[in-house]
Amino acid sequence: MFDWILDFYNWRVVIQYIPEFQRGLLATAQVSAIALVIALVVGTASAIMSLSSFTWLRRISAGYIAIIRSTPLLIQIYVIYFALGPVWLLDRRLDELEGGILALGLNAGAFMSEIIRAGIESVETGQVEGAKSVGMNYVQRMRYIILPQGIARVLPPLMGQTAVLIKDSSLVSFIGVFELFGAGLTLLNERLMPNEAFMTVAMCYLAIYYFMFLLSNQVQRKLGGAYS
Amino acid sequence: MFEIIKSTMPFLAHGLWITFQISLITIIIGSIIGFIVGLVRAEKIPILSPILGGYIHILRGTPFLVHLYFVYFMLPSLGISWLQLEAFPAAVIALSLYTSTYVAEVVRAAIEAVPAGQSEAARSVGMSAIQNLRYVVLPQSVKMMIPPMGGIYVIIIKGTSIVSVIGISELCAPENTPRSVTLVN
Repeated sequence: MFDWILDFYNWRVVIQYIPEFQRGLLATAQVSAIALVIALVVGTASAIMSLSSFTWLRRISAGYIAIIRSTPLLIQIYVIYFALGPVWLLDRRLDELEGGILALGLNAGAFMSEIIRAGIESVETGQVEGAKSVGMNYVQRMRYIILPQGIARVLPPLMGQTAVLIKDSSLVSFIGVFELFGAGLTLLNERLMPNEAFMTVAMCYLAIYYFMFLLSNQVQRKLGGAYS
Repeated sequence: MFEIIKSTMPFLAHGLWITFQISLITIIIGSIIGFIVGLVRAEKIPILSPILGGYIHILRGTPFLVHLYFVYFMLPSLGISWLQLEAFPAAVIALSLYTSTYVAEVVRAAIEAVPAGQSEAARSVGMSAIQNLRYVVLPQSVKMMIPPMGGIYVIIIKGTSIVSVIGISELCAPENTPRSVTLVN
């Protein structure tokens, strides 16, 4: 009765590949998580630099953002993986996982930098003046007054950018990192079953997206009372 | 160094031309589809709007790479003859659908940003729903759509680099990069 489903989506084959997809899902989670940490660190640093009073710091930050935003992510991954020679201090080339994560992190960092800068700028001057008047220095003001308020305010767009980062992580499969999309490619190559391969991959990504969506709504509700 | 750049120039120029073609076609098709979807979403038509909402969420929840492989590998396996797409039309279709979700959200936001009083006033002077849309709401919202559209089109032009993986020789395709022609990075 349900034979036509097997024609279109043979779940019996997919079940055999569940370990692959699990491994892929885990790898996607790992790659995205590490890239997210890099992106947040680089993005915050770049946002602070872009608001500093030193011209050259502002220029470095503006140049970084312009370069990243004006080139495709695929090119950035290729440049970092293929064109970057042996890394100073590491004394060897980056392997595909490190290269992919670094490219993803730097890419998301530029976009997050813009978001975080908007957050920092939205903190009222009264807050900064108050911090100054109780004798806080620049680092203390950033650490205890400005960043906590600024970043909390832009959490929803930051989570949207994180969802984009997770989707973009599918591109690192082209330099040979095994992740969720790579698992789909494995099924495609071994069994020549594009339906099963990419429907499953799409469902996994949709599940991640839905989870991020719920989380973002939750955060927005939590912040709604405090910051809007 | 200069010989390398010189010898790869024709390939790069060809890739640039293909990138330009794909971008232009998808921007036009994607904007038209996106505009219609956004309009339907903003007007809150009972059954159609939730369906299109699902369409947007599904497309935005999956990577573009998955859309591309869907169109290029999955549609031919359905066995319908006109769905056996070549690489170029497959890329254009996948990118257009991807563009349309972005455009639809911008259009919807712009239409919803027009104050409700405008529509109410238009209806109260006897305009029909179509006239209201044509003469009152759209002229105001189009102005708001233009700035974010620029950002979307940049995303799309960058997105065309991904279609190189199904074998279209645009700027990023392996056989076009100086790297694979000369093996020098």
